Amino acid sequence: MARALPATPLEWGSSRRRWRSVLLYLGRNRSLGAGLLLLLALFTLVAAGHAFYDIALAEPLSASPGKPPSARYWLGTDKQGRDLFAVLIVGTWLTAKVGLLAGFFGVVIGTVLGFLAGFFRGWTDAVISLLTDVFLAVPPLLILIVIAANIKGSMSTDSMVWIIAALAWREPARRIRSQVLVMREAGYVNTARLNGTGAFGIIFKEMMPNLLPYLMVSFVLATATAVLASVGLEALGLGPQNEPTLGMTVYWAIHYSAFLLGMWWWVLTPVITLVVLFVGLYLVTAGLDELANPRLRTGGAR
Amino acid sequence: MAGLEVRGLKVVFETDDGIVEAVRGIDFDVQPGERLGFVGESGSGKTTTALALMGMIDAPGRVAGGTALLGGVDLLRLSPAEHAARRLVDVAYIPQGAMNSLNPVMRVGAQIADGMIDHGTGLGRAARKARVGELLRQVGLEPSVAERFPHELSGGMKQRVAIAISIALRPQLLIADEPTSALDVITQRRVMQTLREVQDAIGAGLILIGHDMGLMAQFADRIMVLRHGRLVEEGQVRQIFREPKDAYTKELIDSVPALEQRRASVIAAFGDANAAPIIELDRAAKTYRRGLFDRTGVPALQPLSFSMAGGTPLVVSIVGQSGSGKSTLGSLLLGFLAPSEGRVLFEGRDLQTLSGAERRESHRRVQAVFQDPYAAYNPFYKVDHNLAEPLRNFGLARDRASVLLKMREACELVGLDPDQTIHRFAHQLSGGQRQRLMVGRAMMLGPRLLVADEPVSMVDASLRSSILGNLRRMKDEQGISIIYITHDLATAYEVSDYVLVLYRGRVVEAGDAETVIKDPLHPYTRLLVGSIPWPDPDRHWGGDEQAEAELAERDRQGGREPCLVRSTIPGFSLAA
Repeated sequence: MARALPATPLEWGSSRRRWRSVLLYLGRNRSLGAGLLLLLALFTLVAAGHAFYDIALAEPLSASPGKPPSARYWLGTDKQGRDLFAVLIVGTWLTAKVGLLAGFFGVVIGTVLGFLAGFFRGWTDAVISLLTDVFLAVPPLLILIVIAANIKGSMSTDSMVWIIAALAWREPARRIRSQVLVMREAGYVNTARLNGTGAFGIIFKEMMPNLLPYLMVSFVLATATAVLASVGLEALGLGPQNEPTLGMTVYWAIHYSAFLLGMWWWVLTPVITLVVLFVGLYLVTAGLDELANPRLRTGGAR
Repeated sequence: MAGLEVRGLKVVFETDDGIVEAVRGIDFDVQPGERLGFVGESGSGKTTTALALMGMIDAPGRVAGGTALLGGVDLLRLSPAEHAARRLVDVAYIPQGAMNSLNPVMRVGAQIADGMIDHGTGLGRAARKARVGELLRQVGLEPSVAERFPHELSGGMKQRVAIAISIALRPQLLIADEPTSALDVITQRRVMQTLREVQDAIGAGLILIGHDMGLMAQFADRIMVLRHGRLVEEGQVRQIFREPKDAYTKELIDSVPALEQRRASVIAAFGDANAAPIIELDRAAKTYRRGLFDRTGVPALQPLSFSMAGGTPLVVSIVGQSGSGKSTLGSLLLGFLAPSEGRVLFEGRDLQTLSGAERRESHRRVQAVFQDPYAAYNPFYKVDHNLAEPLRNFGLARDRASVLLKMREACELVGLDPDQTIHRFAHQLSGGQRQRLMVGRAMMLGPRLLVADEPVSMVDASLRSSILGNLRRMKDEQGISIIYITHDLATAYEVSDYVLVLYRGRVVEAGDAETVIKDPLHPYTRLLVGSIPWPDPDRHWGGDEQAEAELAERDRQGGREPCLVRSTIPGFSLAA
């Protein structure tokens, strides 16, 4: 009808107009804007801390132990003599790194599997789908605990990445497969075949660009899931013993009965940081979902 | 009962690029019992007018002026709550694709009863149930249908349910927005007859919105032609069809193929008359199986053999309802599907034995135009992508300049302005422009065979004849053979040299277009031809009860009788 369609975010103009339209879009897509703002604030703090704060204070015995927040130690110190502000800076980065890397590898592996299954169908699909379904049915924490418990002594954030990535591919694989199944029937994929484009070209030139929003959603979701998994493992004491990640901080706080001792700052610092991280990731996912699926666009979005 | 009186209706949409006037002040009346047709192409404001009467114009649109009196009440001045109270009671709207607007998790009967409950008819549970049964019977369905869910019904049945919902509270005005656009001709005729019957029964006025002049000629009493939100012409149906005053009205009428006006087809050798067949079907059949353990499967196409000679370009139409197997046949010819039995040979080689590279290369010589011009373009790219990719892949253009030149030629071949087309995104073009560009793309590539799968069914009627004209030109001037797949016998009649009528995966009648369509023999073909809404108000658009009975009898017997081959033409041989 005469209704003018809003310009799609994939339609680029000049770079200035592009930025303007991105900002306009963020203004309309509130949850994406708010989520990005929250994450940006958190990482600005982390980056500034790395640059201007003495992060060596995150090591045990580097500060006087068990002090409440003061002018010297902004967020206080824990019982082992770590400055909790330094822990926040280092820990947020370590936890985010595990999440981002595990999420990234999970999405890459999941995308490859999803494309193989969805595009080539037949036996490839049967095997991959069966594998995905079996792994989806097993509680992930169970597998993670078994693996982590076996290498507990030498656990580092790097090995955490691989352990968590080993399960992070399942949801992306399923998500991407279903998208590819729908997309391979699209008129433009048939047209591409008539254009003499091969399977490789159809996957990378025709399908991939249209899947970008889905891949972004999958990546953010997988990151959030990976952060959750890593914090879960660490709170159980199965994380890296020598690195002050947010989850390990929670573990030490429980271990040394921070609650009983009334050391609220020790508990609140990692918990509030995790809440900010999760709310930010959640809002970004919700916002990207709206971008990927225009049917979710609410009224008054114009 | 009172009629509807609309004066100076204006609707505007506020967009980023300023105010767009969708309806620019139109006047009309609808008397009780009258059938008024609103004709125009997409963007003419016909649906917007209906939505305005229903109070369903959403932001950024708004009613900017005018009155619409129905029984002394101005519909344009009502609050949303007042509108809600009047919907179904005074005015009922049957939206486009109403069959998809049914709630999938609610039984049909409950959806019909819903309106009665909301508007407080005071009927008890038993009385409501009886009324639902009565309504279903009125629209030609069994009362037991009330217990079923929408997915258990066919498209035609769902459309009937939508009609039952709309008449449940006996409104004074019915608005039907392209109520049959997704249905095949046979179902379309039956649904429209039902609509006419129920309208007569409740004595309401009816507005039929559509772009099919044939349907209008058969259904409406009076017609209003709209264009760009303005009234172009208004008159009694006979007057409009006999003596159209406006050039645009004339154009609309002429765009519908009529039985009298058909260009004689020229069957002539092109190039080497004795060339090997381009395409051969050797007892090719397709059965769809679900999962790995389904041994019986659903037969879509029964074994079929035919061959098209290389030296004689022809337009061969494959006609049938949805589910007849015609699109499966198209996919087999393109090599998108592998036959479950038999072979499909292109230039003497089995498509399934070609290597990936050979099959890709084969597409230079077998091209297609698909039904949906919206889906054919990748939304990520400008339309150039669909033109430039094949040129590069098939090595038809060496550098950017020659790609651009060929793209411009392709636009000009189908009457598009290259400067207004190239470097644009598909959503910036209309459906008709996109489909014409797809035809231009096929012409540019110069294939030997073109499979056209319903190329005009989603295009405005006024553009249909120009697209069909392009197809004919491809055959006459470029010597391209065309397989034209359609459910619409009228357009098949206009373009084709030979017609195959497909019924339940089997060719039941074949012959040259003149014989098959002017004098159909098989009851299914008779039913199809009888259901075409020809653009002539005096031509009877009736059901052929005898044909329906015969067809039902044949179905009972298993329907394995041989195909009726009415005539043969040089260059095409069918082994039924």
